Amino acid sequence: MDLELTEEQQRLQDAAIEFALSELNDDVIRRDREEVFSLAGWKKCAHFGALGLPVPPGYGGMGLGINEVIAVMEGLGYGTRDQGLLFSINAHLWTNTLPILTYGTEEQKQRYLPRLCNGEFIGANAASEPDAGSDVFAMRTRAERRGDCYVLNGTKMFVSNAPVANLFVVFATLDVRLGPMGITAFVIERDTPGLKVTRAIEKMGLRTSPMAEVTLEDCMIPAASRLGREGRGVGIFEASMEWERGCILANYLGVMRRQLESCIDYVRKRKQFGQAIGKFQSVANRVVDMKVRLDTCRPLVYRIGWLKGQNRPATLEAAVAKLYVAQSLIASCQDAIQIFGGYGYMTEQGLERDLRDAIASTLYSGTSEIQRNLIAKGLGL
Amino acid sequence: MDNIKEEIRQYILSEFLPGETPANLQDDTLLRTSGVLDSVGTLRVVSFVEERYGIEVEAHEAGVENFDSIAAIAAFVQSKKALA
Ligand SMILES: Cc1cc2nc3c(=O)[nH]c(=O)nc-3n(C[C@H](O)[C@H](O)[C@H](O)COP(=O)(O)OP(=O)(O)OC[C@H]3O[C@@H](n4cnc5c(N)ncnc54)[C@H](O)[C@@H]3O)c2cc1C
Repeated sequence: MDLELTEEQQRLQDAAIEFALSELNDDVIRRDREEVFSLAGWKKCAHFGALGLPVPPGYGGMGLGINEVIAVMEGLGYGTRDQGLLFSINAHLWTNTLPILTYGTEEQKQRYLPRLCNGEFIGANAASEPDAGSDVFAMRTRAERRGDCYVLNGTKMFVSNAPVANLFVVFATLDVRLGPMGITAFVIERDTPGLKVTRAIEKMGLRTSPMAEVTLEDCMIPAASRLGREGRGVGIFEASMEWERGCILANYLGVMRRQLESCIDYVRKRKQFGQAIGKFQSVANRVVDMKVRLDTCRPLVYRIGWLKGQNRPATLEAAVAKLYVAQSLIASCQDAIQIFGGYGYMTEQGLERDLRDAIASTLYSGTSEIQRNLIAKGLGL
Repeated sequence: MDNIKEEIRQYILSEFLPGETPANLQDDTLLRTSGVLDSVGTLRVVSFVEERYGIEVEAHEAGVENFDSIAAIAAFVQSKKALA
């Protein structure tokens, strides 16, 4: 495994950084305060190609391999201060677009992928329920087969992008008695009767990424809206999670690198007691810890790409990376605030937002506790 | 039949029980209810038998009745093959 980016990967990453720095950072403080999603930013991301990174050009995407996607994601994480927008892009890509690409029929792919790539359609994923979070396969949303249709009933919780989404990948069970083997995936368009985006949910961080509850009330969809086979939803869900874990973490590498650079710069310039604060060992050690975290996180993330690039399983490695990178990100966000002192705590600096955005990383795509369970299982415990 | 059992045993050992002594995975060792196979693991076994033996497993057939032991899986595969 080579940790150097190839020339092509470097070129893509540089382009992503330049794009994000110049196009995605407008008005983030206000939008964060008021919970405003940037549709303009979304369209720019579509134009840049970010919404279809792994999708083959025949369906309107960029056709990048996973290592290239990770390189771009790292660049976007570095360049943009709008982590909510990036979070929305990750939800759209890994839990909506990619499952359709991987498991969709040719008709579904033709119908949806070009629009998901060009920004016309925003994708969302509805798996969690009020009573099914970590134990998501205990979901109760029912999909009842009626002739050539399915009728869905249930409530979905924490659906990222729901308030602005046009297309939902929804998981439901054919029969709760089948347990996980009954879980089946569907693609449902927003204007389908019976699908309602009900309650918008306000949150601590990632506030520019909108979220809502979604209800399905006698939502009737043609059998052709099923994604993959009956009872195979668990595999679809897990494949999404593996991609999402790998690629969201790549954003964080970018965030951690940006913070490290700005901290180095600050501790050199900021003087107290007649000298640069970086000369105080307690301050320098925080910067050192940030550097060590970044350098230990990076190979873990690129290892996921390296394995998946060879079609090898990466469940254990993705869990190791998710657990470690999320906790490292939060630690580094806190260090950055401490290094900047009172200025770090103030909204204007953006570091308090970084921390609020980071806290969710130990919760979504499987909590840290669940990652530990996955690792223990992978070790045969 | 013995052949099928052996292939399934090898698959489960290599995918889910690395380092385990083969003797500890008997034909009647419980797989689902003992936690050797979780839901994701069971689906992988389902895909494996589908591909290996050219059968199709329906959602309602992938439950504990047919997938809780090597003997049960092999018997299920046999009956499906007989129908095919
Ligand atoms: C920002 C954000 C965006 C999200 N976006 C989406 C989305 O787009 N679509 C979607 O479907 N869901 C989404 N979710 C939901 C997310 O997947 C769940 O929050 C997550 O799975 C945890 O479920 P829960 O919140 O119900 O917590 P619970 O499962 O109730 O967990 C509560 C606590 O118990 C611990 N716990 C639970 N089970 C175990 C166990 N077996 N061993 C050890 N500890 C355990 C957990 O780790 C946690 O600390 C999002 C969540 C967040 C925070």
